Amino acid sequence: MFSTNSYRSLIHSSRWTPAPRMPEQSNDYRVVVFGAGGVGKSSLVLRFVKGTFRDTYIPTVEDTYRQVISCDKSVCTLQITDTTGSHQFPAMQRLSISKGHAFILVYSITSRQSLEELKPIYQQVLAIKGTVESIPIMLVGNKSDEMAQREVETKEGEAQATSWKCAFMETSAKTNSNVKELFQELLSLEKKRDMSLSIDGKRSGKNKRADKLKGKCSIM
Amino acid sequence: MPAGMKPLEKFLKKQTTALTRAGGFVGGVTDKASGGTGASRRRASLSRVVPFFRETSPESGQAREVFSPDSEDPPSWPSAAGTGPVSVPGSANSSGSGSGDVRSPSLSSDEQSSEASLVTEGGGTPLHPDTPDNLTLAVLDSVAGKRFGHCTETLLDDFMLTHPIFLTADRLQQVLLQQFSFEGDRGGREGERREEGRGGGRGGDEDAEAAMMDAAERKQAVLNVAFRYLDTYRELLQEEGERSNSFPKELYLCAVQELTRYPELVEDVLKLQRWTEILHCPSEEEKESRKKQVRPLFRHFRRIDACLQPREAFRGSDEIFCRVYTPDHSYVTIRSRLSCRVGEILALVREKLQYSEDQPVLPGNLILVAVTSAGEKAVFRPSDEAVFTTLGVNTHLFACEPSELDSLLPLPEEIHWSPGDSKLHDMSAEEVSNQLVVFDWELFSCVHEVEFVCYVFHGEQSRWRPLNLELVLQRCSEVQHWVATEILQCQSLPKRIQLLRKFIKIAALCKQQQDLLSFLAVVLGLDNPAVSRLRLTWEGLPGKFRKQFQQFESIADPSRNHKSYRDLITSLRPPLIPFTPLLLKDLTFLHESCKTFHGELVNFEKMHKVAEMVRIIRRYRSSQLAMDTETSPSHLQTKAYVRQLQVIDNQNLLFDMSCKLEPKDT
Repeated sequence: MFSTNSYRSLIHSSRWTPAPRMPEQSNDYRVVVFGAGGVGKSSLVLRFVKGTFRDTYIPTVEDTYRQVISCDKSVCTLQITDTTGSHQFPAMQRLSISKGHAFILVYSITSRQSLEELKPIYQQVLAIKGTVESIPIMLVGNKSDEMAQREVETKEGEAQATSWKCAFMETSAKTNSNVKELFQELLSLEKKRDMSLSIDGKRSGKNKRADKLKGKCSIM
Repeated sequence: MPAGMKPLEKFLKKQTTALTRAGGFVGGVTDKASGGTGASRRRASLSRVVPFFRETSPESGQAREVFSPDSEDPPSWPSAAGTGPVSVPGSANSSGSGSGDVRSPSLSSDEQSSEASLVTEGGGTPLHPDTPDNLTLAVLDSVAGKRFGHCTETLLDDFMLTHPIFLTADRLQQVLLQQFSFEGDRGGREGERREEGRGGGRGGDEDAEAAMMDAAERKQAVLNVAFRYLDTYRELLQEEGERSNSFPKELYLCAVQELTRYPELVEDVLKLQRWTEILHCPSEEEKESRKKQVRPLFRHFRRIDACLQPREAFRGSDEIFCRVYTPDHSYVTIRSRLSCRVGEILALVREKLQYSEDQPVLPGNLILVAVTSAGEKAVFRPSDEAVFTTLGVNTHLFACEPSELDSLLPLPEEIHWSPGDSKLHDMSAEEVSNQLVVFDWELFSCVHEVEFVCYVFHGEQSRWRPLNLELVLQRCSEVQHWVATEILQCQSLPKRIQLLRKFIKIAALCKQQQDLLSFLAVVLGLDNPAVSRLRLTWEGLPGKFRKQFQQFESIADPSRNHKSYRDLITSLRPPLIPFTPLLLKDLTFLHESCKTFHGELVNFEKMHKVAEMVRIIRRYRSSQLAMDTETSPSHLQTKAYVRQLQVIDNQNLLFDMSCKLEPKDT
C-alpha cells in the first residue's frame, strides 16, 4: 500500500509492470562473495564493477551489483552479492547461499586468520548445497600487492583449494591485478551455461575449449 | 494510489471533493508537492489513510458518507466508554457560502460547539483564542488555582498534548523559567483580583504575605507544569543530545536559589535533580554500545531472535539498515538514523557506490525515489526527514539521476515460499489470531500519544515524527495483503476454501479480542477484488461462514460515515485496538475543518478537540492485555511467522494470480 505525503510529487506510472518474475524464474547468474571483514571483498567487487579503488574502509552489510553479460547465444544478468564480514545476519547468509550459483571465498594473504575464517563458510555452502561438485567456487587470496606483509604463501592457498576441490587465484584490487580474470574464470567454471564478460559474444582464449560442453541457459 | 485500485481511487475523489466543499481550503489543487498551499499539503496526508477503506457501496450516493457541513449526520466521535458523542465544529455550522469559506466555523459557532464539546470532561469554557505565550500563562494560572478548579486537568492535558503545534520547546521552556523567577505583581488581572477579593484598607504586611503566597503558588504551578512536560516529552527530550537536560537543570538552579524563601519546594527541587540525571546525555561509551544495536526495520534485516522479543518503540535516533536500489536493480545497504534527512541518505549512497573524482563522467545530482511494487513513484526532497516509516509494505527506495526517473522499474515481488508451501496450513486460527492480537498490542502500545497529534500536524511546528504510528498503518496494510497473498498462492481449490474459512475465523477471533485493527484488515484483505472474484472458492464456503463474513463486511461499510464501525466501537470497553486508519482519518478531518491560527492567535478550542480524541485513544489503552509468555516450539513458530509476514502488494500481480486460479468467464 503506497502512502503519499505532503513532500512528494506523485507520478503515476501508466506502464503495467512486466510479467511478474519470481526469483526461481529469473535467469540471473548469482555470484556471492564471502570472507572475513577487511580482506577486500568490496574492493574486489567495486574494482570489477566500477573500475575504482578507495583506501577508506566502509564495512558492508550487503550490497548487490548487476551487470549484463553474454550467456549462450544471448545475454543474462550477472548478479554479484558482496556480503558482510561479520555474522550479523545468518538468515541472510543462508538465503544468499541457497540462491547463489557460484561463490568467491576471499581471504587476505596478509592474514592467516582470514583464511581460517573461510572454513566455516565453506562448510555452510557444502551443507546448504549438498555438494560442491558442479558449483563454481573460487578461493581468492587478495592483497597480493602487500608482499612484505604476506602471511599465507601461494602454495598454501593452492593446497587449500585442492582440498576443497575448487579453483584458486591471488589478486590485488588495489593494483587491479587478476580482478577481471577472477570473474572470467569463475564464469567459465559454470558448466550449465556458456558465459562471458564481453557482451558481443567474443570469448577470451581460455574459453575456446573444443571439449567444453555448451548448454542452453537453464532456468535455475 | 496503487495502480489498479480503481474503485478506491473513485472513493478518494469523492472524499477530496467533499473536503473541498467543507471549507478550509484555498483553491482546489491537485496533489503536487512543491508550491502547494498549506491546504493541499494537509489534504495529501488524508490520502495516506483513505486507501484502507472499502469501496463505497453503490447506493450510498455522492459523498454522503464523508464529512461535510451539509450532511445531516455530523461525524460523531464516540468514546469507548460511551459518554456521548462530541460534535466537530464544522458540522455545527453550515457555512452559507459553501466552498472556500476560510473563516473557521468554530469561531462563529463558538458557544454552541464549545458546550457540546466539553460534555465528556464537564464544566467550564475552553480558552479563547490567544497568543501562544498567553495560553501558557493561562494554563499556569489555572494550575495555580486561580481559575477553573476541576477543569484544570483537562486544560493542562489539552495544552500538554497540543502545545508543540503552536509553541516551540525552547519558547515553552523559556516562559516557564521566566514565570518561575518572576517575583513582582503581574499587574492587570492578578492585581485586580486581589483587590476584588478583599475589602479595601488592609495593611501592607498582609499584602506582602498575600504576594508571597501568590508567588509560592505560581512557582508551584510552574513546577507542576514542568514535571508534566518532562513526563510527557521525556523521549523527545532525550533525543536532544547534549542539551537534553538543560531545561530541568536550569529550573533546578533557579529553584535551589529559592529554597530559603520557599522551603516547601524542596521535594520538587529533588525531583528536578532526578530529572537532570534521567535526561542526562549518555556517555560516549554507552552511546557506542547502543550504536552497535541496529534495529531491524526492513524485512531483509529481520532476525528471528529480535522478532520474538517484545517490540520497543522506535525513536528518531535509532539506527536501521536500509537497501537503496539503483535503476538496474543493484542495491547498497546503508546504515542510517530513522530521522535522517534524505540529503544524508543520498550522501551515504554516493559514498557506497564509490563515486570518485577520477570517474569519466561525474554523476549528476542523485534523487531519492520511492517506488511501489506496482511501479508508482514519488520523489523526495533533500530536506525530507524520517521517510523510512512512510513507505508501503513492498515499496523500495531508489537513488537515481533525475533523467532516469521515468524509466525506473519496480522490483519483482519476492516471497520466499512457493505455492502450496505456506506454513499457515499447519497453524490453527486460534494460534494465529492470538499472535496477531499480541503483536498489534505491542505495536499500538509503542505509539506515544503525541504521535497522534503530530500525525495530522505533520509539517507544521511539530518536530516529532509519528514513526510508530506509521508502522501501525504499515502493519494494517501488511495484514490486508497477507490475506490476499496466502489465498492466491493456494492453488488447490479445497485447500483454498479451507484457508478462507480459517481467515474468517481469524477475523472473528480478533474481533472477539477487540483488536479491530487486524479484524478489519483481514476483512478488507478478503474484500480485495482479486480475492472476492474467486467465485468457486467463495461458493465452496459453508453457509454460516458466508453469513458471518457478510456481517463482518457490513462493519467495514463506510457509508453514513462508518456508522456500523462506530456503533461497534461504542459498545466495547477497553482494552481495545481501534481501526487506526479511520482514527487518523477522523483526526485529519478535524484538523482540516477548522483553522489552527487566527492571525497570531491560537484556536485553542481546536486544540481541545484534538486532545479529546487523544484522550479517547488513551481510554482504549487504559488497561493492559495480558502478555504472551508461552515458549513451546510450535507457539514460537507461529509467533515468528506472524511477525515476519511476506506479502505481495502489487495489485496487478494479485489479480493476475487470481485469474490463473479461476480464469475469467469468457
